[in-house]
Amino acid sequence: MPDNWGYVLAAYGLAAAALLGYWRHLVRRARALVTRRRTT
Amino acid sequence: MAAAIRPLGWLALLAVLAGLGMAFGYAPREVVQGNVQRIMYVHVPAVLTAYLAFALVLVGSIGYLASARAGWDRLAAGAAELGVLFTGITIVSGSIWGKPTWGTWWTWDARLTSTAILFLVYVGYLLLRAMVDEPERRGRFAAVVGIVGAANIPIVHFSVKWWRALHQPSTILGPEPSPIAAPIAAALFTNWVAFTLLFAYLLARRIEIARLEDAAIAGAVRAR
Repeated sequence: MPDNWGYVLAAYGLAAAALLGYWRHLVRRARALVTRRRTT
Repeated sequence: MAAAIRPLGWLALLAVLAGLGMAFGYAPREVVQGNVQRIMYVHVPAVLTAYLAFALVLVGSIGYLASARAGWDRLAAGAAELGVLFTGITIVSGSIWGKPTWGTWWTWDARLTSTAILFLVYVGYLLLRAMVDEPERRGRFAAVVGIVGAANIPIVHFSVKWWRALHQPSTILGPEPSPIAAPIAAALFTNWVAFTLLFAYLLARRIEIARLEDAAIAGAVRAR
């Protein structure tokens, strides 16, 4: 069977994008909380 | 707890790098499938992490119904969010793996269908949480869905045993000794540890943010 590296890269790339995206979402939420605290 | 989150994040990152090293540098090219089999080091740890997440939703839901303490609800909500994320990764990586090996992106096989149902049940759980504003009602309604939804976990896991499926039977967490070669098993185990640490880090952050948000809302209510 051919190696299909494109499929391997797609699977790892999409998993990394999903995990990084979720992490960034948490970081932004935490920053927004800090900003809100400072302003109130 | 907040002070321990950052070191846990660094530990998770190191474990992920070790997992990538094992998946691409240590584990051999699989004889039948070739290098596309390396998708397994994402696919299997992702589903095991999703099982763990949904088991924690069950624990948090029971804890909340028994005690009405907000901490249990925050655990359940955070674990559900991450469970959906890791189930999504499982489905997408499995679909990408399926195309070159089965010749199709998707088939209504028992394992795939039950996993899709599991995913949709917990998306529903998150939508329900988003629709109910009052925290105690939200916690109670969500806890019921969290407990009922957990019944899907054994259905997903044993679906390949109970029904004729295109998906291969369990090679780990099965009753028989695993037939996986030692280097492949070592790479799989490293990635499973990495995913578990990553999950623990993201869950700890998610719970901490929810705790601070709840405190901010309580503070705003008191100030009125």
